[in-house]
Amino acid sequence: MTTSGISRRGALRMFGIGALGVASAGVLGACAPSGAGTDAGGGDPKSKNFDFTSWSLNEEAAKPSIEKIIKAWEKAEKSSIRAVSYPYNEYLSQLTLKLGGGETTGAVHLDIAWLAAIAQMGRLADVGPAAAGGGYTDVALKSGVYDGTQYGLPWNIGSIGVIANSKLLKKAGIEKHPATIEEFEDALRELKGLGEGVVPYAAATKVAQLKDIFPWMQTFGCTLYEGGKVTIGDDASVDAVAWYKKLHDAKLIAADVDRFDARALFGQGKAAFYDDAIIGKGVTSAQSKDKTLAAAMQPVERPVLKAGDTPQALLWGGVIAIVKGKGQDAATEFALHTTTDRATTSEYFAARALPPSTTAGLAAPEVAKDAFTTEWTEKITRTATGSPFWQFAQSTQIDEAVAKHVQAVLVGREKPKDAMKEAREEVTALIKR
Amino acid sequence: MSTAAPPQKAPPPRGRTGARLSDGAFALLLTAPGIALFAAIIFYPLLSALITGFFRQDLRLPGREFVGLDNFAYWLNGDLFTILEQTLLFTVGATLAPFAIGFALALALNTGIKGSGFLRGVFLFPWVIPGVVVSFLWMWIFNANYGVLNGVLVQAGIIEESVAWLGRPGTAMLAVIVTKTWASFPWMMVMLLAGLQTVPRELHEAASMDGAGAVRRFFAVTWPQVRGVASIVLLLEFIWNFQHFDTIYVLTGGGPAGTTETFATAVYQTAFSGFDIGRATALGGLWMVLLLLLVVVYLRITERKGDA
Amino acid sequence: MSTTSTTPAPLPVTDRPRPVAKRPGPAPRRRVRKDLLRSRVAAWSAVVAIGAFGLLPVYWLLATALSTPDATFQFPPKLIPTDLTLGNFTALAENDQLISYLVNSLIVASITAVLSVVVATYMGYSFSKFRYRGRKSLMHMVLASQMFPQALLLVTLYAVFSSFGMLNTYTALVLSFTTFTMPLCVWMLKGIFDTVPDALLEAASIDGASRWRTLHSIVAPLAAPGMIAAGLFAFVRGWNDFIFALTLADKEKQTLPPGLVSTYIGEFQTAWPQLMAASLVVSVPVIVAFMSLQRYLVGGMTAGSVKS
Repeated sequence: MTTSGISRRGALRMFGIGALGVASAGVLGACAPSGAGTDAGGGDPKSKNFDFTSWSLNEEAAKPSIEKIIKAWEKAEKSSIRAVSYPYNEYLSQLTLKLGGGETTGAVHLDIAWLAAIAQMGRLADVGPAAAGGGYTDVALKSGVYDGTQYGLPWNIGSIGVIANSKLLKKAGIEKHPATIEEFEDALRELKGLGEGVVPYAAATKVAQLKDIFPWMQTFGCTLYEGGKVTIGDDASVDAVAWYKKLHDAKLIAADVDRFDARALFGQGKAAFYDDAIIGKGVTSAQSKDKTLAAAMQPVERPVLKAGDTPQALLWGGVIAIVKGKGQDAATEFALHTTTDRATTSEYFAARALPPSTTAGLAAPEVAKDAFTTEWTEKITRTATGSPFWQFAQSTQIDEAVAKHVQAVLVGREKPKDAMKEAREEVTALIKR
Repeated sequence: MSTAAPPQKAPPPRGRTGARLSDGAFALLLTAPGIALFAAIIFYPLLSALITGFFRQDLRLPGREFVGLDNFAYWLNGDLFTILEQTLLFTVGATLAPFAIGFALALALNTGIKGSGFLRGVFLFPWVIPGVVVSFLWMWIFNANYGVLNGVLVQAGIIEESVAWLGRPGTAMLAVIVTKTWASFPWMMVMLLAGLQTVPRELHEAASMDGAGAVRRFFAVTWPQVRGVASIVLLLEFIWNFQHFDTIYVLTGGGPAGTTETFATAVYQTAFSGFDIGRATALGGLWMVLLLLLVVVYLRITERKGDA
Repeated sequence: MSTTSTTPAPLPVTDRPRPVAKRPGPAPRRRVRKDLLRSRVAAWSAVVAIGAFGLLPVYWLLATALSTPDATFQFPPKLIPTDLTLGNFTALAENDQLISYLVNSLIVASITAVLSVVVATYMGYSFSKFRYRGRKSLMHMVLASQMFPQALLLVTLYAVFSSFGMLNTYTALVLSFTTFTMPLCVWMLKGIFDTVPDALLEAASIDGASRWRTLHSIVAPLAAPGMIAAGLFAFVRGWNDFIFALTLADKEKQTLPPGLVSTYIGEFQTAWPQLMAASLVVSVPVIVAFMSLQRYLVGGMTAGSVKS
């Protein structure tokens, strides 16, 4: 392959030959690839064996308890469950690929933010009849609905909020949780003063979880989406991003952090605040060698712009959806059992501190008496709202588009105002698609 | 590639008895399995993908809609040139840096220092480790909070506090290039060393006696001998880097703020995270056109050199 | 080598060699010795400097793999770990999933290597030893296919395999890996066959051997080291693939690189010691294969190119 061997004419000729090759291959693969592949779910819906796909199987704190549920079911029903997992940040894309290729069947665990994206593929079964007798709370039930159809059996319902390490706060001399943004900022500066590499607020700064900025935008008064129009790009959202940038530049939040980094930092006692779902307590304290950390973790009402405002929080939860086709019936039974069986939900709660989705499950003494959960529900879930973008199939692309622009602001590539204006245009285009 | 082959017009006569096929037909028959494979898994997918670029198509949904040049316009009005610039930066950096390091090492090992055979084996290590592992390792080294690089630099007083290498524009690209360099310099070293070993030692000694300095000897004796190998490793590495994916995807995912986005990561993420295969394939098509332009320019330059 | 060589050797200053007059006396000899010393020093400094860049990360990989999880959360990190443990390795033995990824990787990379070498042998032989219309074009096509963006091919390959229900099969992985292993194998093997003298083929033909027999029993054994090299190269590239396996395979047929990502990214991404231990263990098979076969590789890679 000395270079003299290739002449320009030869290079052009090779493309001609290439075209010929294509023509012959055309015969071979006459069927035009149709993206989503075959539509039939295929397989026997009555099969006792099915798949269960969940990102939680990829997480140290959750894996054993979910495996236990699976094993118990396999034993009782003499069936076999194929358990599959992908990392949370890769989950939606991997699941979509495997579902599109017909590899995934049975039950799939979905973040409520992803329901629309998956449901519109047309592979999910209507689980309305099964859900009717499940005894779910209304809020939970609603989280499994897309376009008027019940696609998901709610497993857990909670919210994403701010968690504090009370030991660090005490060390920095902070007596009570900051109530306003101003107080919050002061507290962060105090905490920064502790030194020792403490990141006062381990906020997400990587694209994967930068959607955590939405509640802050709402705190500043941006509605995100209202009356069919994207409101990102208004002054409130620009203020929020500028504020985030200010925290970033003052090193009150750290670069290159996602949820998992934040948990690691917090678990090591190096972060005083971070955003997480209610399960954060279980996950983070489990990976910390400091056994007193769990007791020091406190849910914090998100600081507000001015005293008296409603604290913002994002609703968060998981549902189990059922793929049409092989093992559909058994998977539905399994999902119903997993999400509603009193003993199962209570045990799952004990392991993961993740509140169940049924009225009975919530009323169980183990759950009702748990101080952290009660406090969380009162301080955070009470005022939590779902994202207005969840109704769109492109919701994750919307999150990502905004996140990319926020990140560009953080690293100094864009100005907040222009960045949010561009984000609005991109989100509007995504909604239209 | 064809320099070693005898001229095309003078095929050696091969009077074979009992051969039913002509030589040409036999030769074509030999290529048949290869051609079939190429057609099925390379050319058909390529053409099909290039056609998809003119449609709006969602990976998740059946059906598509012809949209003309919309997808191409999206990139031309958007990030195309940023992506091109970053791809070139990565490609050139991750080709030249390992070449320089590999060449220096090859020259050093070729002086016949003790244990050069053993050293060559040891230095192959980084190349043999799977690419994803390499990315993990450097991700850990570059870690913003507990990484060893920050640790060493802070302790040495070179930086005051930890740097988020992978989280800042500029350093992120640098980190990606360093990682890829680490993974490829051994291969270049091996190739160049083999090339160097064909240089007769006497040539060097004679040149040395003749009073030629090290630099002059390098350009007079060494370089002409390894030029062939050097141009091949550079070309191959350039081609491979131009579509390199793993290191960037694992290390930065194209971030922060898209500053390490290259054609490969952008096409992949548009297709398999954004599910927009119309736009993804349109970008792929533009990528091929730009690459073709580069190749033509390259051929012009090398051909002119050949003529001179 | 002898520094006292008295025979004049040609010294090419431009590309053309010219005879050098013999220079008697001790002066040049001393210069040669001084040069030699200087080159030794330069060589060793290069080896040490590049050694630091090349091998310190390997050291860190090992050190982390032997550390306890707590140790990785110290800043600045201890450069010489004190709390050594093998726990990270023993934990791996219980991880069935990783072993299954490992087995899949071995299977897929081996089949890919064999398929590529078999097909490429016929094609390379045809390119090397026959002259026919379209030969050059075919050769260019093979060469050019290395430049075709993998990410772009993948978009269609995914759709095609999906519509044939072939996702998550070894077949899909092998075929997709072949897109990047075959072109290089063809090129390498053509280079190997170019080194087989035509006279040998003539002789065989005169002895009455058929063209098939000539290829299979005379040429192939001669080219065996080259075929091993090509196979090894294909194996390593298949072993390293990330993008195709990530997209086309699921749990059962998944190979190591994406398998490692899906095992350790996310919640476990902070489990650096485990991740490093796993990385080290999965690198061992390739390292062993390489160290034992590296001489073939070097020979094979350079055979077609080093000759001037």
